Amino acid sequence: MIKLDREEPTRAVPDTLDRSLYLTRRTVLAGAAAATAAVTIGTEPADALAPLSDDMVAFKNLSAALTGISADKLAPVTDALELKQDYFTWVMDRKPDQFKALLQIAKANPTALQTIVDQSQANGDAKFLARSIVLMWYLGAWYEPDDLKRLVAARSAEQSLFISHTVISSKAYTQGWLWRVIQAHPMGYSDMQFGYWTRKPEPIEDFISRTSPKGT
Amino acid sequence: MANDDIDVVIVGSGFAGALIANELAKQGKRVVILEAGGKIPTDINDYMGRFYKASAKVPEAPYTPAIFDADGQFSPELNNPATVPAGRPTVMTLGADAWSNPQKSYLVQQQKREDGQPGTPFASTYERVAGGTSHWLGTSLRLVPNDFRMKTLYGKSEPDFVDWPIGYDDLVDWYGKAEAELGVSADAEDQKFLGIFFSRNFPAYPMPRIPESLTDGAIRRALKNLSPTETAFLGMKSPPTEISVRGLPAARNSQPYRNRRACAGNTNCIPICPIQAKYDPTITLNDALNHRNVTMMTHTVASEVVVDGNGRVSEIKYIRYSVDTDIKTKTLQNLQRVEGSIKAKIFVLAANAIETARLLLMSKNDALPNKTVANRSGMVGRHLMDHPYYVAWGVAKEQVFPYRGPLITSGIGDLCDGPFRDKRGAFRMDIGNEGWNFVIAGGAVGADPDVTAIDFLNGVNRSGLNTDGNTGNGLFGQSLITALNSTFSHQFRVGFLVEQTPDPHNRVTLSDETDGLGLQRPKLAYNISPYAKRGIVAAKQMQDLLFRKMGATEKKFDFTTVAKDDPTQFDAQVGGKSVTLNYMGAGHIMGTYRMGTDPTQSVVDSFQRSHDHDNLYLVGSGTFPTGGTANPTLTIAALALRTAERIAKRV
Repeated sequence: MIKLDREEPTRAVPDTLDRSLYLTRRTVLAGAAAATAAVTIGTEPADALAPLSDDMVAFKNLSAALTGISADKLAPVTDALELKQDYFTWVMDRKPDQFKALLQIAKANPTALQTIVDQSQANGDAKFLARSIVLMWYLGAWYEPDDLKRLVAARSAEQSLFISHTVISSKAYTQGWLWRVIQAHPMGYSDMQFGYWTRKPEPIEDFISRTSPKGT
Repeated sequence: MANDDIDVVIVGSGFAGALIANELAKQGKRVVILEAGGKIPTDINDYMGRFYKASAKVPEAPYTPAIFDADGQFSPELNNPATVPAGRPTVMTLGADAWSNPQKSYLVQQQKREDGQPGTPFASTYERVAGGTSHWLGTSLRLVPNDFRMKTLYGKSEPDFVDWPIGYDDLVDWYGKAEAELGVSADAEDQKFLGIFFSRNFPAYPMPRIPESLTDGAIRRALKNLSPTETAFLGMKSPPTEISVRGLPAARNSQPYRNRRACAGNTNCIPICPIQAKYDPTITLNDALNHRNVTMMTHTVASEVVVDGNGRVSEIKYIRYSVDTDIKTKTLQNLQRVEGSIKAKIFVLAANAIETARLLLMSKNDALPNKTVANRSGMVGRHLMDHPYYVAWGVAKEQVFPYRGPLITSGIGDLCDGPFRDKRGAFRMDIGNEGWNFVIAGGAVGADPDVTAIDFLNGVNRSGLNTDGNTGNGLFGQSLITALNSTFSHQFRVGFLVEQTPDPHNRVTLSDETDGLGLQRPKLAYNISPYAKRGIVAAKQMQDLLFRKMGATEKKFDFTTVAKDDPTQFDAQVGGKSVTLNYMGAGHIMGTYRMGTDPTQSVVDSFQRSHDHDNLYLVGSGTFPTGGTANPTLTIAALALRTAERIAKRV
C-alpha cells in the first residue's frame, strides 16, 4: 500500500461545516477533544498554543499582504506543518537585513495590507526579497531575490533568461498555494476523487479559504 | 539456484522482461533476471521524496541512479557518464550544450551520420529500474491493421518501409491478454476505427474508459463542423467534415483493479503515479518475484552474450557492482565489482532498443558473421526510431482548468492512416491536461506554473502571457490571485506523434567512450527524414486548423515557439510561409533488431527469436520493423506474452 509523507484529511467533518475546519489526522491524534471543540465553536482552544513572537506575527501579516492569502490560512492557529517557521528561518538565514526591514514594515502597519505591499515595493533592497517570499508560499521554492532582479533588468532585451530555484522541502512543495489559486492541486499530490476533472472546479474561494492544502 | 538448474535468463526487468518472467513463473519455470539498476524500493516514498525535492520535474527525477543532489539540483558530478556504473540518458542532458557532448551525455550522440547527413538529437530517455517505461504515461494503444503493412501499402516512394511478418489478426488476442494484465481502461466501441477490431475472447477492455477533461471537450466541440476545404491538407481518402476526439486507452485504473486504486487525477502519470493507479512494470515484476522459482540479480550488468561452436548461446557474462552514491557530497565512492557468468537453456534480452543492441554489439565473436552475436543480417543497431513529437500550446477562449486529471485523457487517432502515408508521416494527436507544464517558451526558461507566476509577480514576460504587465512592477495580493487564476485556467497544449521511416543510418553502435564499469557506451547517429518532417508540417497545419476553430481571433492565442538554440529545429514551408518547427522525444525507442521473415534483412522472427541462435530471444520495441503512431508499450506487452508462451513450451 502507498504511504505518503503527509497527512490525510479526515472525512469526519460533514460537508455542511465550514471547510476551513478540515483537520489533519495528526491534529486528531494530538487531541480528539481539542478537535471536537474546534468543530463546535469554530476556534482552537487557546491553551493549546504558545504565543507567537512579534516577528512571527509580522511575518504572517507580511506574507498575507503579499500573497493575498489570509494569515490564518497560511499559518493556522493549530499549525501541524509549521511551514511559517521553516520559511522564517530560511529567509533569516539568507537575507537577515532585508528581511528585518520587511518585518519592520509589517509591524508598523499591522492592519494595512496594501500599505505593507506598497512600502515593501518602495524599498529598493527588499522588494525582490518580498517577491521571493511570495514564491515560497506559492511554490514551496526559493528563488534568489537577485535572480528576480536580474530578470527585471533583462526584461526588454532577453526574454529567455533561465533562473533556477531550490525546492525547500517535500512538505513545502506539496503545500504550495499557487495550485489552489489556479483551482488545481500540486502535481503528484492530490486527494481529489476519480473523475473530478470532467467538471469545473468549485469556486476559487473554496480552494483558498481552506486550511487543507488540497482542493476539491 | 544452481547454475545448471536455470531454464531462462532474462536481461532487463521492464515491460517485456517482467511479463515474460511472470508468465514463465506461473508455469514453474526457473528464471533469473539480470537488472542493471537497483532494487524496487519497498515504499514509494523513496521515489516520491526525490520527485518532490527535484528542482526540475523531469521523467527521470524519481528514479535511480539519482541525478539530483541533496538540494534537488541537477548534479554534473553524479551524472558523469564516465563514472556512473550503469548510467542512462536524461532530459537534463538533451540541451544544446549537452546532447552531443560525451562528457555530459550518457549517449554519445553524433553531429554527423555515417552517410554525411547531419545528426540531430535522439531526444528520448529511459530508466534502469524496472525498465525505461516506469516513467511512462500509461497510454495503451493498439497499432492499426495497416501499420503492419507499410511496404505493401505505402512503400513505393519510401523504399525503407518494410512489412511486419505478422499482422493485426495474429496479435488481436495477445492485445486482449496484455490489456488484462496491464489493466487498461477504454471503451471498445470508441476504439473501433481504422479497422481496429476485438477478438471473441476479449471483446471489451477490462475497465470503462477514463472520462474526458474540460480541455478534451473544448477540442472535441471545435472539430465537430469542418469543411472539406479546411481538411483537404490531410490527404485522407475523403476530407473529413468532423474529426473525432476519442478516449485514450490507458493502463490507468478507472475502477479498483487487482488491488490497486482508481485514478485520483494526481496529474503526474509522468514521471510517477503516487497511488499506483497507473500500471508500471514493478507490479508484474513483484508478482513474478513472489514465485520461489524466480530471482532477480540487481546492479548486474550483462556484458557479453557467449555463443558456442554449435551456434547456441551458452552463457551470459555479467558484472555485478555496488557503489556508494552520496547526494550531499555529490560523489560516487567505493565502487566494487565482481565478474561472473550465468548459464541457462534459453536467454532473453529485454534491455530496450538501445541497451539490447549495445549488448549484442559488445558480444564479439570472430566465428560469427559480422563478428557479433545475432548479427548475420548486419542489421543490429540499425533503424533506430522514435515518434518525433511536435508540441503546440495556446490559450483557449473558454476556461478549461488544466493541471487537473490524468496528464492525458483523450486524443485523435482517426488521422493516422490514409492514402497520404505514401507521401508524409502519419500523426496521432494527444491532448494535454497539464497546461503549459513542460512546454512553456519551448522549455528554455523552466516549467509552469513557475514561469507564468513569476511573470505576473515580478513584472516580466517570459511566458508571453503578461504583455501588458512587462513593467518590472509585479502584482501582489488579490490582484495577483485574480491575474493568475484567469491566466492559467485557459492554458492548454496538444502534441503530435509522427511516424518516421526505418532508416538504416539511424543507428546504435559502440563508442570508445566508456561508463563507470569500463563498458563501451552506446553511440547514436540519428535524424528525422524528409518524410517525417512532412508529417510534422501536416501536424502544424492540423494545429493551425484546431487553434483557429478554438481561439478568439481578436487576441493572441497561439504561443507555440521554438527555443532559440533548440538543436531539433528545422525550417519548413507551411501554407506558403517559412516556419521554424522542431521535435521532442516521445520516449519510444524502436527498431534496432527488427523482426522479419528474411534472415538477411531482419534480426529476429515473429516470435522475437534470433534468426541466428535458436535459444536467444530479443524482445521489446527493438523488434518493431516500423513504428506506426501508437505508443509502443501495449504492442511490446502483446509480443512479450506471445513469446513467453512459445518459450514455455520449449523448456
